[in-house]
Amino acid sequence: MSAALALWIVIGAVGGLTYLSRLSFIALFARWEMPSFVARALRFVPAAMLTAIVVPAVALRGTDAVDPALAEAKLVAAFVAALVAWRTRSPTATMTLGMVTLWLAQWLLRGAA
Amino acid sequence: MTPPLIGLLPFGLVCGVAAQALGASVWGALGMSAIIFSGAAQIVAAQLITEEAPIAVIVLTCFVVGMRLMMYSAAMAPHLKPLPARWRNVLAFVLTDQAFAAAIRRFRNSGDTRNGASYFLGTGVLLWMTWQLSNLAGYWLGNVIPAAWSLDFVVPLCFLALLVPALEDGPTRIAALASAVAVIALDALPMRLSLVCAGLIGIAAGLLTESRTAR
Repeated sequence: MSAALALWIVIGAVGGLTYLSRLSFIALFARWEMPSFVARALRFVPAAMLTAIVVPAVALRGTDAVDPALAEAKLVAAFVAALVAWRTRSPTATMTLGMVTLWLAQWLLRGAA
Repeated sequence: MTPPLIGLLPFGLVCGVAAQALGASVWGALGMSAIIFSGAAQIVAAQLITEEAPIAVIVLTCFVVGMRLMMYSAAMAPHLKPLPARWRNVLAFVLTDQAFAAAIRRFRNSGDTRNGASYFLGTGVLLWMTWQLSNLAGYWLGNVIPAAWSLDFVVPLCFLALLVPALEDGPTRIAALASAVAVIALDALPMRLSLVCAGLIGIAAGLLTESRTAR
């Protein structure tokens, strides 16, 4: 099998399954009544899932294992960004001040070392 | 809507670079970004294709990586229920992390199906277009943004901005705390299962806290 064909099979299969995951409960609960515990559980989806995405990206050392200054700067930047998000509720301010803090903290941590 | 779009750019570039690195044609790269339309699945697929993994393994791994989409689907379901089936099917295609986080807030704040659904559709289509452009840019130009800028950190910052307002009361805060502990503790799990497991643990913790305070 050619590499191009294999790639298109992967695109079709993964694309199809990803779409079915997206459609799954939207289609299911349009026809069937949702069990009450599921309905109560849904309001926790944003808090639980967004946390599961954010925390490893901030706290776990992936590719920056060789760069402790970057790993520490990420923690500081995330803390500042969380404060900004809490006070302003503005994604733009959160992202801007978070990135500025990341660069500043890296620069300071490197300078001190 | 601009912030999630900006947050998407560096991620899209990385996916485009990955498609180029595995030797895909420009149509193959565009097929990945346009049809799969999920950064995590695209990266994992590109990685496994390069490692010459069997197709069944690639497909299964990408499915597991994308299981969080089912939770988004469940959370969106009650808001989309009043819509005609064809609109539900269209909106499901643009259900991503970013579109979910932005649109679920709009649905709750407005309490209006039409308003929420239009916002969801607009956000989703814009994100889809931005995704194609940033993937293509990565494919053709390589990583144009210097790695030292750590611009990919915009992605978690964007989610953080959407997370903080979701911590509206005691039970949601407990849900987030439990999820944070779980995602670190379960980091060693394969296929990024830690993500979906931590999500479920967080939800369970939130439910438990709520039923205790209600009593």
